[in-house]
This record gives sequence, structure tokens and C-alpha cells, in this order.
Amino acid sequence: MTLLEAILLTIITASTPLLIAAIGELVVERAGVLNLGVEGMMIMGAAAGIAAAITTGNSGLGVLAAVLAGMALAAVFAFLTLGLATNQVAAGLALSIFGLGLSGVVGAPFVGVQRAGIGKIEIPFLSEIPFLGPVLFAQDPFVYASFALVVGVSWFLWRSRAGLVLRACGENHASAHALGYPVLRIRLYAVLFGGACAGLAGAYLSLAYTPFWTSGMTGGRGWIALAIVVFASWLPWRAAIGAYLFGGITILQLHAQGAGVPLPSQLLSALPYLITILVLVLIMRLRRGGAAAPAALGTPFVPDR
Amino acid sequence: MRLVLERRAETPLALRIGSPLLAVALTLLSAIVIFAALGHDPWRALHIYFVMPLSDSWGLQEVAVKATPLVLIAVGLALCYRSNNWNIGAEGQFLVGALAGSWLALATHGAPDGPWLLPAMLACGALGGALFALIPALLKTRFGANEILTSLMLVYVAELLMDWLVRGPWRDPHGFNMPQTVIFEPEATIPLLMEGGRLNIGTPLMLLVVALMAVLAARTLKGFEIRLVGEAPRAARFAGFSETRLTWTVFALSGALAGLAGILEAAGTVRQLQPAISPGYGFTAIIVAFLGRLNPVGCLVAGVFLAITFIGGENAQILLRLPLDVTRVFQGLLLFYVLACDTLLLYRVRLVRGAAA
Amino acid sequence: MTLSRRSLMAGAGALAGATALNGPAATPALAQGAPLNVGFILIGPVGDFGWSTMHDQGRRRMLEVLGNRVTATQVESVAPPDFDRVATQLVRTGARLIFTTSFSYFAPTQRIAPQHPNVMWESATGTATGPNLAIYNARFYEGRYVQGVIAARKSRSKTIGYVASFPVPEVIHAINTVMRGAWSVDPQMRIRVVWVNAWFNPGREADAARALMDQGCDVICQHTDSPAPLQLAEQRGNVFGFGQASDMTRFAPRAHLTSSVNNWGDYYAERARLLLEGNWRPADTWGGLGSGMFRLAPFTNMTPEEVSEATRIRDALAAGTLHPFDGPIFRQDGTQVIAAGQRLTDDQIRAMNYFYQGIDVAMP
Repeated sequence: MTLLEAILLTIITASTPLLIAAIGELVVERAGVLNLGVEGMMIMGAAAGIAAAITTGNSGLGVLAAVLAGMALAAVFAFLTLGLATNQVAAGLALSIFGLGLSGVVGAPFVGVQRAGIGKIEIPFLSEIPFLGPVLFAQDPFVYASFALVVGVSWFLWRSRAGLVLRACGENHASAHALGYPVLRIRLYAVLFGGACAGLAGAYLSLAYTPFWTSGMTGGRGWIALAIVVFASWLPWRAAIGAYLFGGITILQLHAQGAGVPLPSQLLSALPYLITILVLVLIMRLRRGGAAAPAALGTPFVPDR
Repeated sequence: MRLVLERRAETPLALRIGSPLLAVALTLLSAIVIFAALGHDPWRALHIYFVMPLSDSWGLQEVAVKATPLVLIAVGLALCYRSNNWNIGAEGQFLVGALAGSWLALATHGAPDGPWLLPAMLACGALGGALFALIPALLKTRFGANEILTSLMLVYVAELLMDWLVRGPWRDPHGFNMPQTVIFEPEATIPLLMEGGRLNIGTPLMLLVVALMAVLAARTLKGFEIRLVGEAPRAARFAGFSETRLTWTVFALSGALAGLAGILEAAGTVRQLQPAISPGYGFTAIIVAFLGRLNPVGCLVAGVFLAITFIGGENAQILLRLPLDVTRVFQGLLLFYVLACDTLLLYRVRLVRGAAA
Repeated sequence: MTLSRRSLMAGAGALAGATALNGPAATPALAQGAPLNVGFILIGPVGDFGWSTMHDQGRRRMLEVLGNRVTATQVESVAPPDFDRVATQLVRTGARLIFTTSFSYFAPTQRIAPQHPNVMWESATGTATGPNLAIYNARFYEGRYVQGVIAARKSRSKTIGYVASFPVPEVIHAINTVMRGAWSVDPQMRIRVVWVNAWFNPGREADAARALMDQGCDVICQHTDSPAPLQLAEQRGNVFGFGQASDMTRFAPRAHLTSSVNNWGDYYAERARLLLEGNWRPADTWGGLGSGMFRLAPFTNMTPEEVSEATRIRDALAAGTLHPFDGPIFRQDGTQVIAAGQRLTDDQIRAMNYFYQGIDVAMP
């Protein structure tokens, strides 16, 4: 494997949890709900995933548990923000604190337990394509899932009727309601989907990427995923670009350090954030318009009868 | 079965008082269940959590010390959020404020002259926080870049800037290379209010800020403008208010308050700069702002309340050997209940039989 | 509450006049039967599987050794601004011996110790003792020397990768010592360093280790707490690594060489026992391999010759016949620190802020 291939491979694996969580949150926000609890759902997924995998000895069940845990936390959030129309920002932040605490309780018995990670699957033929093969088609299942999510969500939002309705709920919930669409139920599904994705991203961390449990192991990735959604101006393809860009700069700065680039390591570590801001500004300048945020994002909806 | 919310025309006074009480009651109830499930005497646990922090002068002082930065930051954020400016980078503004104020303390180290130093440090801190907060404001008004993203990203940048300064140029030359600055001179340290405690002038300063902001929000044209832009942007435009100018104002103000909180912590509680100077005050303050219903006096109450749970959590670790994670679960639950009970103020909640709408 | 206040008063009474500073008279023994309340303040979560986890295990070990003669309380994830309050609260609830387990706590410990002369304070890493303040740490660098020797034997690319946390002296002198050990086998050895700016961040540690492996490093040393770099070495194959803080053999059965295993428990038990018997004195303890404050996990994935060489060097370090900081020592720019025949003092080691000549990595 050449150095370039190795770097690209690393970038893709490092970006995958960001991408999976970001795609989930993108759908949530497209439906008009802002869930800032991604970090909490992600770490709950990581804890539940490894707890289930170790207890049952089955990685698949671990992934399932992670997805369900993410959805369970999302359901709490949905009850508060959709059922009771509470403030979404505050409920999301509360969810993050709650998830961080609960994951610590769930994970406590599993600190320091060793477990083999979920391995890579080489896709026959495709993985033999020079250059692209080893980078794209010799990855672990989560990476393939992230590819599928990007394509699937893109198709869903712009090519399917349900996606159209979902976006309508995010743009103007009053009109969507007037047209007879069940706004709250659609938003509930979106929030649950977001929770499932965050849980899956958490499972990636604790079952494949760094296969063990330690408290706080998400290390702020949930927040980065939120930033990527905004960066992507709510478009799945751009979310992929954003995640790979962020992951890419993170990895490249590590390589720069290893190669002895004489810059303060703090400056190099700050580069992913600075460049993300810079690229966002450039995108906005080129487009010369406001970000295409869903118009109803963050506003609670209470149907009039 | 489904929940149906009906908007209230008016919130009865009894409910205004009753809703927070209901939230507290629900919290206590869950607490009793959780403590009992963990095998602790619930009454003792509740006492340790909520009564002990308030049971003597030392405890009260500590609550005030912990609440001061939270409330200072939260009242600024409340103003931002009221006008639909989503500054979630207060943590970064807090750090840069601490850096800017400490710069003065370090520049005069060894030769501090005069009583001007401390006020100048506080001013520098506020200015530093304000300028740092103006970056997302500028990016928003000039380029339309989303302020949630930019302000959040700048938190990480501020953390790394702090890290670099205390490990590099500002490191204590006699500190065995540890990543921290010298301990500030007494002249550059926030004076204590009384002997034998940690309460310093930061707390009265915070109360003053709360009072000023309450007046600003309720009684001045600016306060009206902020509410109007937040609630009815079109009407605000008709009224001739400039959204751009307002964005700059609220960002600068909230940044200045976060920066002030930063330098008060650096020169008051910690008395030196080191990387771990903030236990996430900037993020916790967001919750305080919302718990306080974006109202300055509400933020004060919410800040004190959250401070009690933090200190109660420490007490629970010491006396009950409850891990910190249980405290976090508990805090999360608390916030859920408060939010849920708030709904009662705006809506009538009914359970209805039948399919969802 | 009355109970804890009373015991605090009793403690204060028992210790009245016991503040003879550094004098020959040590602290008097506690009243018979009253268990000693020992407090621990941790910088990270108990579940970090690194620094704080090992202090937690030290606490458990102390309880095991001393049984019902002691009780222990600990507070985890205490940020430095909260330190004063937590420490005071521990004192108020009856703690008589308090271990503050991070260098971030040293300055505040130094400030708060004189306010509570009846309480004995022990700071993990620090620069000075006080009448009721001791400092303690382990000479982890001795293990680094052994790592350097093993790495030089194992590496085919002759390049060591170092996943570093923060450029504090502890890490700087560890990097220097790894290379000293490596050069003792093969002067051609080189090192690459990546700073992750965290003590503990599994994802970033794994990314850093990946970057180092991609750049040709085939032995990875880590100065961060998670098993992530080691696990990655296991996945890659043909790459070796060392565990940190605890025995990490099980995380990489084919890649693990040895681990540096922290063991604070015996020290904690000893200090508590001394206080119970009235013999506690402020001390500056910096224990090496010989002290048992840390040990090396059994060598794995090494040939018998390599094991016997590593064992010999480990034993020489433990016995004090081999010293990693003997002169001559030159800085990167060629200036001499000490000449042959001299040895760095402990304070010089603690304040080290330069790389040795021959390390072609810039100081951050």
C-alpha cells in the first residue's frame, strides 16, 4: 500500500463516525427539529453497543443494541420537544448531559475489557481495483453503511414523496399540517432515525474503531457532527464532503507532525476547525445567499384543532 | 392514546408558581427512587444533595462562587438567544477573556503598580471576550456564515490558543516547565469579600450585571428591539431596527460578559492561567440561560440551582460514594422535568383517545 | 453532620501542637480505634482506564492492606477551579490524609495545605514539600529506557513512533530516555513524534498511531492512556507497541511487548499506615522500578535472548547500577548540559525542556 492510499484509508475510517451521525442529524433538521443531543446519543450507543457485544459475544447484537439505545434517547427527546413542545436547544443539551452520565453507569462494568474489533470486509473484485479498491472497498461494514446512508438519504429527501413531505414539515409546518400531513409523527420518525444513526456512530467507535469502553470516549465527535450538518447546508453530499474534509485535515496534521513540520502542534490541531470556518465562509461568498436552513428549524409545532 | 396540547390564552398565577414546584417535586420523587434503587437512604441522600450545600456560611459561599460565572455568562447568552443569535461559543469567549485579562497581570508581574491594575484586567477580559465573540458576528453579518458552527469551532481554537500560550510564551519560567503561568501578584488577584471563604467581589459584580440586564431587557428601547427582532423580525425591520447592528451588539455584550467571567475565574478562583481553567462553564451556561427562560433574574435563580446540584453531586461522591455519572444522570433528569413542566405554562395538556393527528 | 464535625474536632484535638515543622517529632498517632479517613481527588473519570483508574485501584489496594483501619472517599473529574471546594469539603467531612493526584493540583494544594495544618496532603508530582505536604511520583522514565532497548531490537525500519500527549517535562524526558535506550543498542535509531494534545482520547490516539505507522514506524511507544494505539498495532501486524498505565497484554496478544504498570496502592497503604502510627513526615518520593511504584508487565512476543537482555537492563535500573541520565548529555543544538562523569539532578530531570542531540524532531 502506498502512503497516499494509507492516508486516504485512514481519513475515511476517521471520518465515518462523523458522517454517520451527521447524516442522521441532517434528516432530523430537515424535518425542522434541532437535536443538540447527538453527543449524548452517540456515547450511549457506544456504551450499550459494547455492553451488549461483550455480554452476548455477538457484534451484530452489539450494533443492534447501540442503535436501539440511540433511538431510546431520541424518544425521550421526542417526547419532550414534540409531545410537550419544549425548547429544543435546552432539551438537546440536557440529553447530552444525561447520555454522558447514563453511559458511564452502563459502561462501568466493562472498563478495561478486551474485545476483538469488527474486522474489514474486502468486496470481491472491487477491492482489487488499483488505488480505489483498497481505499474504498476493503473497509469495515460501518464504512459501507455510511456510503449507503449518504446515497439513501439523498434519494429519500429528493426523489421520494415521503422525503418531500418531510422537507415540507421542516420548511413550514403549518402548511404541511393544513395539507393534512401528520407533522408530529413525521418529526418523530425523523428524530428516531437521527438517534439510530448517532447510536450506530457510537457503535462504530466502541466496536470497530477503538474496540473497548472508556467513559467519554466520543471525545466531542457529536458536536463536530452537528457542525458538519450546518457546514453542509443540509445537503447529504456536502455532509460527506464536510466529514471527509474535517477528518482529512485532522489526519494530515498528524502526518505533518510525524514528518517534523516545525509548527506548534496546537496550531496544527486547530487547523481542522479554522479551515472548516474558512471553507464555510468561501462557500457562502460564492453562493452570495443565506444558508438554506430549513425555515421551521428549531420551532416547536403544536397543531391547532 | 395521544397527547394534545392546547394553547392557553393566559397563564394563571397559581400555575406560574406551581410549575417549577411540580418540577422540583418530580425531581425529588425520581431522586428518591434512584437513591433507593442504589441502596441508599433516600432522605439522607436528599439532605446531602440539596440541604447540605445551603446549611452553613461556607456552603452558601461556595454555591455563590460556583454560580457566579454561570450566571454572568448565561445572562449574556439569554440576550443573544432572545434576538435569535445562536452564540454557543461562550466557552471560547470565557477562555479568551481569561487570556486577555491575564496578559495584563503577567505583563506587570513583579512590578504591579497601583489600584488601576485590577479594573484594567477586568476591562481587558471583557474586551477580549467581546472581540472574540465579534468574529462569529462578523462572519454572520458579512458572509452569512452560520454562527452556531463558527462560534462552536472557535471554542476549540480558543482552547488550543490557551494551551499554546501556557506551554510556550507565558509559561512560568520557574515552574518546572509545567503548563501554567506564574501565580498572580496579590495586586492582580480579585479581592475576597470576607476572611475565611472564597467569596470575592465577582459575586456582587454578577448581581449588579443581572440587575442592569434586567433593566435593559424590560425597560429600554434596546431591550424592546432585541425582543422584537427575536419574535417578529419583519416588524422589527419595519420599525427601522438594523438586524446587523443588533447582532453585533448582542454578540459583543454576551462575549464581554463571558470574558469578564473568564478573568474573574482566572484572577479570582484559580489565580493563574492553566489549560483546565474552565470545567465547561460556557456550555453549562447555555442550559442556565434556558432554565432561566432567557430572563436575567431567571438566569440568576437557575444558576444558583445548578450550582447546588454540582456541589450536592460532589457531596454525594464524598459521603455516599455515588459516582459522578449518577449525578449527571440526575442533572439530566432534572432538566427534562423543568422543561416538561414549563409546557404547562403555555399549554393545557390532555390525553386523548384515538389516532394521532 | 454532627458526626463528621465531631470527628473533625476530635482530630483537631488529637493533633493540637503537632505542627512541629519538619522537626524530628512526627505527627502523633490517631486515637485508638478511629479509622483514618483518606481522601482522593482525581483529575479524570474513574473509568478512563488510565491515570485516574490506576489511582482508584491504588485506593482499593490501600483499603485491602489496611482493612478497617482506614476509610476512603474520592471525588472524580475535578477541574482545577473546583479544587479548593472539593478539598475543603473532604477536610470538613473528616479526611485527615488527602492525595491530590494531578500536577494541575499542585499549586492549589500548596496554597490550601497551610490553611488545614491538621490534615496531611500528598500531591502526585510537585516541586516542593511543606510542613504537612508531601509529593510523590514514579520514575516512569526507567521503563522508557527498557522500551528503547526493546524497540531497537524489534524495529526493522529503525524508526520508533511516539504518540505523545503534552510537551511537559515528564514526556520530554521520557522521549529522550527512550532514545537513550535505543541508541545503546543501535545508534542509527530514529524517532517520530506526534502530539495529540490530550492524555486520553482513544480516537485521536488511534489516528496518531496510524499516521506514525503509515510513515514507517514499526514500534509504537505511547504516552497516552488508552489501549487504542496498541490495538491498532495488533490489527496491522508486524508492528509492536507498549502498554501504558496498566498491563495491556490482552489488548494486543501478538503486538504487545511490555507495559508500564502504575502501582500506587502500596505507597498509599504505607503513607496511611505511617499517619496511623504517628510517623508520617513530609517527603519527596520519586520511586523507580526498585520501589514498586510501577513495574513492567511480563515481556511478550520477544525471543529468549531479547527477554534476557531486557530483564538484565530492567534489573540494573532497579538496582541503580544503570542510570539513564548520566553525562555527557548534549542538547539538540549541540550545547552541553552536563559532562561525562556527571549526572542530572532530580530537579534538572523534572524541568527538562530540550531534546537530546540526535533526535531530529523539533521541540514543540
